[in-house]
Amino acid sequence: MAIRKTFLAASAFAALGAQADGYVIAHLTVNVAPEEVRQIFTGNMQFSGARRLVPVDNGAVQGDFLYKVVRMDPDRYNAVWTRKAFREGVAPPPVLLSDQEVMDFVRRTPGAIGYVGTNPGSANVILKY
Amino acid sequence: MNITRQSACLGLAGILLAGPALADDAARIRELEKKLERSMQRIDELSAKVQRLEQGATAAAPAADQEARVEALERRVGQLGDGISRRVLEDNTLLRGFADVGAGYSGENNPSFGRGRKGFGVGNLDLYLTPQIGERVRSLVELNFEVGEDGHTDADLERAQLGYAFSDAATVWLGRFHTPYGYWNTAYHHGAQLQTSLSRPRFLDFEDRGGILPAHTVGTWLSGSVPAAAGQFGYDLYGGNAQRIETDAGRRTLNPMAWGRRDSAYTAGFNAWLEPGAVDGLRLGLHGLRSTIEDDAAAPNRTRLAMVGGYGVYQANHWEVLAEYFQFGNRDLSGGSGLHRSRAGYAQAGYAWGAVTPYARLESARLDQRDSYFLSQYYGRSYRRGVLGLRYDLDPRAALKFEFANTDQRDLGAANDRYNEARIQYSIRF
Repeated sequence: MAIRKTFLAASAFAALGAQADGYVIAHLTVNVAPEEVRQIFTGNMQFSGARRLVPVDNGAVQGDFLYKVVRMDPDRYNAVWTRKAFREGVAPPPVLLSDQEVMDFVRRTPGAIGYVGTNPGSANVILKY
Repeated sequence: MNITRQSACLGLAGILLAGPALADDAARIRELEKKLERSMQRIDELSAKVQRLEQGATAAAPAADQEARVEALERRVGQLGDGISRRVLEDNTLLRGFADVGAGYSGENNPSFGRGRKGFGVGNLDLYLTPQIGERVRSLVELNFEVGEDGHTDADLERAQLGYAFSDAATVWLGRFHTPYGYWNTAYHHGAQLQTSLSRPRFLDFEDRGGILPAHTVGTWLSGSVPAAAGQFGYDLYGGNAQRIETDAGRRTLNPMAWGRRDSAYTAGFNAWLEPGAVDGLRLGLHGLRSTIEDDAAAPNRTRLAMVGGYGVYQANHWEVLAEYFQFGNRDLSGGSGLHRSRAGYAQAGYAWGAVTPYARLESARLDQRDSYFLSQYYGRSYRRGVLGLRYDLDPRAALKFEFANTDQRDLGAANDRYNEARIQYSIRF
């Protein structure tokens, strides 16, 4: 009985862990290293070779992504982009509202890179966080 | 025997009776066979025709044509994707800006600058746009409305710069832009809500508000950043019309000469910075500027302005620490008084406890009054200032700031002035 409880608890914990995972996905034309994702989402890297990158935010899981990958809270992230836009004329990433919207956008937009909270299947996964 | 005869008779009778029916069936069978043969021929003809058509279609589309069709299809899909991404980018063309209002008290009182202002006041309404036109075309337009000391509202085309991004390492701009010296001038400029403090260091203020440096340049600007072994390296290279010291509303201040010049005097400068990967939030930079500045006196004074400096910025772990230093070595080109050295700098530190950020700043400018570049400018006098302030973020996009400053105004001879100021400001960004 005790073993079964332990197994159930471990399974539940593993399931929670799986739910907390996120995936950075990109269009097939995008070839970037996982450590470059932070640079892309802070506007320091806007090109991958000759291809203009099109980062897109996912409002459904933005906080988790910013905390784990960009290492910023949303307020600081917005402040960084405000300064970036004010100084360099670079627009911040558009915000989509769900994993499905992000996956659709990334699949059909050359240069696109986004992130989702559910397994994206056969998408081009750049980073799992 | 009788039975045999009877059977034979019956068989003969049957044959005689069935003879005409059998003849009819045979005719029908022959007719059916003919129809079947015609149908088979027709099927063979149709099969041959289909085969010919298939072979013809394949022969009519050689490999090159097929590749072209595939490429065309890929282009269409690509354009569809580009169109979608462009639409998303263009949807981001929003009107953004800053606004601030406030109140204050100034104890300033001297013959050069007169009595300080007291009471309520309107600061700036700053509007800017960053239209994304395609993948590489950049644009930044900024319009600023501010109330001058005469009470009238002035509109300034602060920035009108169009650029083209070749890569992360190179974006070329053309137009009027914030001169990229040091850190403050391009990071905050009219964005009062962006900067932690209420005020700017005075020597870095706008040309008509106390600044002694050309805060705006009309010309071209090459900018970029690349990953380096030690972190992220960035640079600015710029050149444009040399500014001119001109009298406006009884005060001589720097004019960026947005309409061009009648002579061939130019400004050129650089800014190089490094964000070390080992220390998140740190930026260290070096910068320099060279120009030939003339004033509007009857016998114009010409100065070879030469400035170099360095700065350090740390913005992480709730801290914001800024420090900039400017060293001048200006040469008199018209009066023969030689080389004059001056310097200016500031250091500011703030720490954020949640929404509350107390901060302090020390600033100083020691400006050689034999240097016509400073002497000609209304605000070109040495001073020292200490600032204490408190910022409270009502919202990530709205801040209430309180600031107290003590200024030691020098280079006024016997009229040197030491005075206090207290100000409050409510600023937003949108």
